[in-house]
Amino acid sequence: MTLEATDVSHGYGNETVFDGVSLSVSTGEVVAIIGPSGVGKSTLLRLLALFDAPDRGTISYDGEDVWRQPEGRRLEHRRRIGMVFQDASLFDASVRRNAAYGLRVRQSWPERIRHGFAQLVGEQNGTGDAVEALETVGLADKVDQDADSLSGGEAQRVAFARALAYDPEILLLDEPTSDLDPRNTAVIEDAVLQARDRGIGVVVATHDMHQARRVADRTAVLLGDEILEVDRTERVFDDPRDDRTRQFIDGELIY
Amino acid sequence: MTIQRREFVAALAAGGAAGLAGCSTLTGDDGGDAGISGETLTLTTTTSTYNTGLLDELNAPFEDRYGVSVDAVSQGTGQALETARNGDSDVVMVHARSLEDEFMEEGYGVNRRDLMYNDFVVIGGPNDPAGIGGSDDVTEAFTAIADSESSFVSRGDDSGTHTKELEIWDETGLNVDEFGEWYQEAGQGMGDVINMATQQGAYTLADRGTYLDMQDEVDLEIHVQGPIEGGPELLANPYGIVAVNPAVHDNVEYDLAMAYIGFITSPEGQDLIENYTANGEQLFYPESLSEEPNFQQYVPEGWSADNTGNSSDSSDE
Amino acid sequence: MSLESAATVPLFAEFPFEWNYIRSIIVVSLYVSVAAVALSTLCSLPIALAVGFTDFRGKGLLTSIINTGMGFPSVVVGLAVLFTVSNEGPLGSLELVFTREAMIMSQFVLAAPVVTGVSLAAVSSVEQNVRDAAYAMGGTRLDVALVTIKEARYGIATAVLAGFGRAISEVGSVLIVGGNIASADGTSKTRTLTTAIQLEAQRGRFETAMILGVVLLAIVLVVNGIVVRLGSDGGGYR
Repeated sequence: MTLEATDVSHGYGNETVFDGVSLSVSTGEVVAIIGPSGVGKSTLLRLLALFDAPDRGTISYDGEDVWRQPEGRRLEHRRRIGMVFQDASLFDASVRRNAAYGLRVRQSWPERIRHGFAQLVGEQNGTGDAVEALETVGLADKVDQDADSLSGGEAQRVAFARALAYDPEILLLDEPTSDLDPRNTAVIEDAVLQARDRGIGVVVATHDMHQARRVADRTAVLLGDEILEVDRTERVFDDPRDDRTRQFIDGELIY
Repeated sequence: MTIQRREFVAALAAGGAAGLAGCSTLTGDDGGDAGISGETLTLTTTTSTYNTGLLDELNAPFEDRYGVSVDAVSQGTGQALETARNGDSDVVMVHARSLEDEFMEEGYGVNRRDLMYNDFVVIGGPNDPAGIGGSDDVTEAFTAIADSESSFVSRGDDSGTHTKELEIWDETGLNVDEFGEWYQEAGQGMGDVINMATQQGAYTLADRGTYLDMQDEVDLEIHVQGPIEGGPELLANPYGIVAVNPAVHDNVEYDLAMAYIGFITSPEGQDLIENYTANGEQLFYPESLSEEPNFQQYVPEGWSADNTGNSSDSSDE
Repeated sequence: MSLESAATVPLFAEFPFEWNYIRSIIVVSLYVSVAAVALSTLCSLPIALAVGFTDFRGKGLLTSIINTGMGFPSVVVGLAVLFTVSNEGPLGSLELVFTREAMIMSQFVLAAPVVTGVSLAAVSSVEQNVRDAAYAMGGTRLDVALVTIKEARYGIATAVLAGFGRAISEVGSVLIVGGNIASADGTSKTRTLTTAIQLEAQRGRFETAMILGVVLLAIVLVVNGIVVRLGSDGGGYR
């Protein structure tokens, strides 16, 4: 399974964010996108998450050009992708409900309504995968707490579990640890590696080069409005081909 | 609760039936033999008949006899006639002959009957600043109120009572538009105006029925009596009842309206009016039954057969 | 007049007529206001969601029209509805004048801008992040709308209750289109708490007016109490 952006350009209004960018991710690998803040890493992830169609170029899933598909088919593609944002963006509900959200929207309406009623009388059906996902991030004991009672790190871990619970093929992480302390960062990074080992393809956008080195199999460097290079992480960091990559890695390039 | 629910279902059913009835009048007039049972009669009437409670007394036996319901809507005389002009009510009970005549001359009303009468009285605070107590000339009494500039509350709402009040001011030769602050137009119903007059110790013109109904709660006395107690004929307050012309508004419940007029002008209905009392006093005097011919009650005042423009032609446009 | 009802309610045992009368007025008031607010909510929520999360020309104008609507004078609305349902009006053939259905129409017109305006504010305050999260988790557009409603649920509940408060305490339009009708047996047909209070005061029956006033106040207080509770206590949504 491969999710692929080919030669895509995108912008808002008259402003071009990037131009002619290509990147792919396959199941079972971790790809990092590094680059300074504000360079369009989030925009690229949103395109990969099928939020918006690119201005030019194609986004394809297993060779199928996603934006040439009917909306229903695109929804099927979207449902094979999970996403975690820089901000946990949890729903104002219990941890369990948050983690089970993706499972819930995949149910048929009769099921959802039946579970809704069952829940009113205190039964929790069909949230097993959600609890399992919470275990991965070490929060199984908080399952019945309100989401807004969690610390920032815990909230982000729940957001991670929420994206993991429905067992996506591809997981997109947008600066998932930039607001977190080292301990919570370690939990998330560990969960990323576990996900990869389960066969999930992960894209992590980060401005933290050390994180890329720790988790990524391949690394893409997004600078200016283009991807300077994509290759195995060690190669990119140890032997950058592009001068600007080297400058960025060495901290000489200030944007 | 169960009663209410059943009633609501009945109301829905009646609504549906009324809708169907509306359709059938468009397609043809079959189904006329279905009778009037289950129908709803809409009666617009004046606050004075409504607030005294007389209508409840009259409508309950009528509803029982015919198996129908009567929706009585209490409005000022002007508004009650206007509602009927739009075809939103089936029968009108009001007390302003001149306005009723206008209504009939325009072709909106048919089959008017004199119904009952009572009278107006001039009431005011017990200290009587204009010194009109016991007068039997209401024109002089009004002139005295104006001369002394004693507070006077007018209905100011185009009701029958307001129409009568303006008629009396007309008689005095004074111009209402030139009155000072002592003359207040309330724009309210009779009950509200009586309450206002009490607050200010002001004079007002009231129908006897409403005044009697409220006299225990207010501090006002009758200073000029109406004809029932031997006062001037000018203070007479006759009530009429008119059906809305079904040739103008084909949706009106004309047969039901005529049944209603028939009932309240019958000896039984007139007895109910005769015997209706508030605080031990009779409020209304029946006027429908007469052994002598009394054609004038069916037509606008001053109408004669020589007049051109007969109503069935003019209303059929 | 029902004897059972007098027996079941000893407080009013001496006034079976009055109690029946008051009870039927309460039922009519609640029926009309609840129905009007339910309809308003059904129409207002989609509008609030659509206006809240799309950008289009004239959005500011539309928002200010909605906010102006929150202050519509009820008598004017009553007149407009009367012209519409009157025999001479466009809906004349439905024979709605002086019915509860006409009252529901006019209260709908009064409550809808309130429900729309307040829920628009509530819905607009839901963060884009949260909506994005719902979409990213595989939610459809409908799912995103439902999440938005859930996130804004206290604000929306406040909107609904505010609309209810506007409807139940309003007197001008229901008087005009409903006609304040009670049957001869003393049960209300189109008489609501507000129009009954006005009539009873006019008749000088101040005790009945006071009882009705207390009932109306109690209803409004309970509704406001629910709003406050919703605001403070999270509502136990799990």
